[in-house]
Amino acid sequence: MMPKLRRLRTASPFQVILITLFTALALFMSLPIVFIFNHAFKPQNELFLFPPRFFVRHPTLHNFETLFLHASNATVPFTRYLFNSLIVVSLTLVSVVVVSTMAAYVLAKYQFHFKQLIMSLITLSLMFAPETVSIPRYLVINGIGLNNTYLGHILPALASPVAVFMLVGFISQIPSDLMEAARIDGAGHVGIFVRMILPLSVPAIATISILTFQGVWGDVETSTLFMQKETMRTLAFYVNSLLSGLQNNVAGQNMAAAAGLLIFIPNLIIFLLFQRRVLETMVHSGIK
Amino acid sequence: MSSVPDFKRKAAQYHLKRYGVGLLFMLPWIIGFCVFVAIPIGWSMFMSLHKVAVVPGGFKYTWLGLQNYRDAFLKDNVFPIELITYFQEMILMVPIIVIFALLISLLLNQQFPGRFVYRALFFLPVIFATGQVLSELFTQGAGDIPFLDQYNLEPVVRQYVGGELAKTVMEVLGRVVLILWYSGVQILIFIAGFQTISPSIYEAVRIDGASPWESFWKITLPASVPFISLNVLYTIIDLFTFPLNPVLKHIKDNMFKVDTGYGYASALAWIYFGFIFVLLALVTGLFSRSMRLKGGRP
Repeated sequence: MMPKLRRLRTASPFQVILITLFTALALFMSLPIVFIFNHAFKPQNELFLFPPRFFVRHPTLHNFETLFLHASNATVPFTRYLFNSLIVVSLTLVSVVVVSTMAAYVLAKYQFHFKQLIMSLITLSLMFAPETVSIPRYLVINGIGLNNTYLGHILPALASPVAVFMLVGFISQIPSDLMEAARIDGAGHVGIFVRMILPLSVPAIATISILTFQGVWGDVETSTLFMQKETMRTLAFYVNSLLSGLQNNVAGQNMAAAAGLLIFIPNLIIFLLFQRRVLETMVHSGIK
Repeated sequence: MSSVPDFKRKAAQYHLKRYGVGLLFMLPWIIGFCVFVAIPIGWSMFMSLHKVAVVPGGFKYTWLGLQNYRDAFLKDNVFPIELITYFQEMILMVPIIVIFALLISLLLNQQFPGRFVYRALFFLPVIFATGQVLSELFTQGAGDIPFLDQYNLEPVVRQYVGGELAKTVMEVLGRVVLILWYSGVQILIFIAGFQTISPSIYEAVRIDGASPWESFWKITLPASVPFISLNVLYTIIDLFTFPLNPVLKHIKDNMFKVDTGYGYASALAWIYFGFIFVLLALVTGLFSRSMRLKGGRP
């Protein structure tokens, strides 16, 4: 604590202005988060206050209790959705990172046939809103028989154009001299990829991990379209159906508030886990 | 005599091997891409030229040619207007978001106590900007800022901007919060980008007597051109595929209407796609030219 205080005292006027500015902006930006957290702990009577109040007066865990009770009375227990979500998210995350880094590495550093074609295909497919291809996707999934399997959740997210797009930009910034040096020292293609490209592109990988995690964790499309069995659907789907079923329902608003927080928390955790890596400097990693 | 073809053969083999390695690394991605992106997109192209009707046991396709595309402009009285309005908004919002992100990330790149916390805070909105939470907040009116009505800014804007543009400006002003929230990823990309500029360059110019102002224009900005272009592209794409945007909503509505159906919705999607494509092509062209002029860095 002490060294921190000393640092504060020695801050220059410029730094003071910066900190004040950022505090104001950051407070403004964090309002919705404060709202979500407070909302989940509000008792029934505070949820419907008008004008709505930001901070909870009498925090209660009743909302969560109702949510879990409601879920355990349903045909599929809450934990099953949670389990599905965890499996799908972790497998997707790993496979997306591996597949896209491999692709981005050769796109950035190698010459091969159709490279230009693939690059332009990536940029093209980025522009296509995923909603518009959902029905053909369903037909494809149905055609190869991936309905009601975990693969049906994972594979559609696998070829992520966004991830490759961002990684290509990042990896092409890694100097080719480094790879040249490694090759002279006798490293193979796989060796260079595993020992150099992966560690050097950790900040970019962390970024796409965060993005992929959010996309998959909050995704209801695969559950709605490709999964007909209730036992194969994910937590996001469950929460979504809970919310949309309760649109004008007074009794369920507390469950909705609690579920909103539950779906938000893992995002926060993943972000806190990865952001250190994202923001960490690359000064010591040998670039330039 | 025999050594020349031999050499050529070896060279060809070498190239084949090199190319092969590249393709091998690409293979998993290519397969995934073909099955889940390319084929569906091609399929939707096929559908956009047909009238698609759902019959028991599958779909029924009736050939229409370009009729769907013609209808989009001539019969549909919502689509063209929404498309143009959204485009106007976009053209204003993209530079604002990117410049805002650049400024914030420059400041966040400074040394000051607790910057770690601030960096995290600026990225946080991105986390819940996806999905349920955002739409919930917007329906509760948390997305617009009260001072617009409070100080009655609209006449002022109308006076200085005028005409149809004033409406767009007001819309953008009303979404300031959204802009703040949407710059999280861009800030992250910029910060990651700044790390690739080595501190010794700054040290060198400082010794040569350059002020921080000059070193920003001469070093930071030119070095971050690739990241600016990446961010512009990312922002455009992000805004265009934003699930709450009115054009996509219109497309989705049409998808499940009986009289228009999936074929017409696909045609709309393709027109929308065409517009984005032109915009992105322009941006990419501009940036790649400025980068080539600068030379050196790829």
